[in-house]
Amino acid sequence: MTDHAVFATTRQVLLVVVVAIQLGLTLPTLVTHGHAPPAWLAFALLTSVLALVSGSVAAGRTELPAAIALPGAAVVLASSFLATPALPAGASFGAADWAFGLVGWYLLLLLTERPRVLVAALTAHIAFSVAWFLHDGNGDVGTAGVVILSGTSVQLGALVMIRVLVRDARLAAEAAAEHDAARTREELARQREQDLRTGFAGQLGAVLPLLADLADEVVSAGDEATRLRCSVAAVQLRRLFAENDDVPDPLLHELTACVDVAERRGVVVSLAVSGVATPVPTEVRRELVAPMARALAVADGRAKVSLLRTADEVRVAVVTEAGDELPERDVPAFVAVETSVHGGLVRSEARWRTT
Amino acid sequence: MADDVTAVVVDDHPVVRAGVAHWLSTAEPPITLVANGEDPEVAWTGPGADAGVVVLDLHLGASTPALPALRRLVEDGRNVVVYSMRADDETALQCMEIGALSYLTKSEGADHLVQAVRAAAAGQSYTPPALAGALAGDRSETRPALSPRETEVLVEWFQSESKEFVAQRLNITLSTVNSHLERIRVKYAAIGRQAPTKAALVARAVQDGLIGLDDL
Repeated sequence: MTDHAVFATTRQVLLVVVVAIQLGLTLPTLVTHGHAPPAWLAFALLTSVLALVSGSVAAGRTELPAAIALPGAAVVLASSFLATPALPAGASFGAADWAFGLVGWYLLLLLTERPRVLVAALTAHIAFSVAWFLHDGNGDVGTAGVVILSGTSVQLGALVMIRVLVRDARLAAEAAAEHDAARTREELARQREQDLRTGFAGQLGAVLPLLADLADEVVSAGDEATRLRCSVAAVQLRRLFAENDDVPDPLLHELTACVDVAERRGVVVSLAVSGVATPVPTEVRRELVAPMARALAVADGRAKVSLLRTADEVRVAVVTEAGDELPERDVPAFVAVETSVHGGLVRSEARWRTT
Repeated sequence: MADDVTAVVVDDHPVVRAGVAHWLSTAEPPITLVANGEDPEVAWTGPGADAGVVVLDLHLGASTPALPALRRLVEDGRNVVVYSMRADDETALQCMEIGALSYLTKSEGADHLVQAVRAAAAGQSYTPPALAGALAGDRSETRPALSPRETEVLVEWFQSESKEFVAQRLNITLSTVNSHLERIRVKYAAIGRQAPTKAALVARAVQDGLIGLDDL
């Protein structure tokens, strides 16, 4: 329950209390005791405030707008100033004093959301009533004290209870929001981990199907074709391990990693680099490196890998002696790949325009 | 004329001098190594002073490249082939700008060195693949404008290290590949400060009709 709901409910309850007191208790008092005419004016003013607040509650407003609450409180205080002097002599705080308790309830009804204003208004109301009581000079001080204390303490007690309820509702709402946020964070973390997993599986490329085929004995490790697939997978894995390393020139780092795997297989690779390092997004790096990684995986003898970075292009090329068939590859999205065979040499080049 | 090719090698490593001497002497036809030593002075004194080509190591023990020595040699009109440990584009371009006829890295083998020395003896440049890469990747503001074809030849030569492959790929003859590379070198030689070797290179290219004066 939010604090809005607390205010709405307490106002409905207070409304019932005020109606009950006004009609059930004060109206008979007003009729039976001889009051001066301003008392009826005060009663009429209070009734009009009651009508305004009832209208606001009926309209479904959870909080009373300041435009009703503050003028309403002023009118209620004015009623107090009209009703108190209109009392019969010596009736202050006695059985005939219909207004003292009722005004307090009205102030509580109007100013629940504004405790400081409420306390100030109540104080003004009590002070005026006490001042009139003293000015009148005929009343019993003991009875007056009991009436003031009991009436005011019930109203202040109600105010304290409402504030406690509001505070608890606020705390509960905050706890619920925090709980929701934790749930959302948890869900996000789970999603991210899943993305990472699927992303990793995607980057693993040929590795997972190859392992599955070997496990299912669909392919045999002795086959030349399987050997080539293993070789491609090894280069892909090595490149993937290098991908997230924090190095000044990640593209060159990945190329070197692939060259390293090929050299371990006995291929003599020369790597030439020209131009200065330019930032290349990870997906583009993957596609730039892929053709040369595949070519190196199946290369025999010698290979030349080159990285050229001009003002508007990054070009990764590999030239190997024509040999085994290259395995099929994915269609790149960012780079242009060209493969050509001339005079016993195969050249594969991936180009990416930086601009 | 090829029989007359003589060279002097300046390098601070005896094993490199011995290796280069071996490569040159076993070339067909052989190139005579008339002197070698670890100090550039060897190229100005004794038999080295008359050598047709100076093979200069850029890193002679000191921490800074021997660019002043290169500049002196070029200003004397000597044909210099720079032979460096470092495949560093900027240094390569700097040497070209000063007027070296070729820039080779030590990872490039005997073939390129022999061809570079032979070209230099005839006052011509030689662009090995690594240098082609440096030229292709050149982003300096002073770089000459290359035609798309010239750029493509440069890049493919850098990538494949095989002029035959480049010729077949681009469907041109081997000599066209060579003349594209030569034109590029001439365009580079024409920028920056003038040096006798560079002037000779440009003059020869214009005479041969390889390049028009308005290309420069």
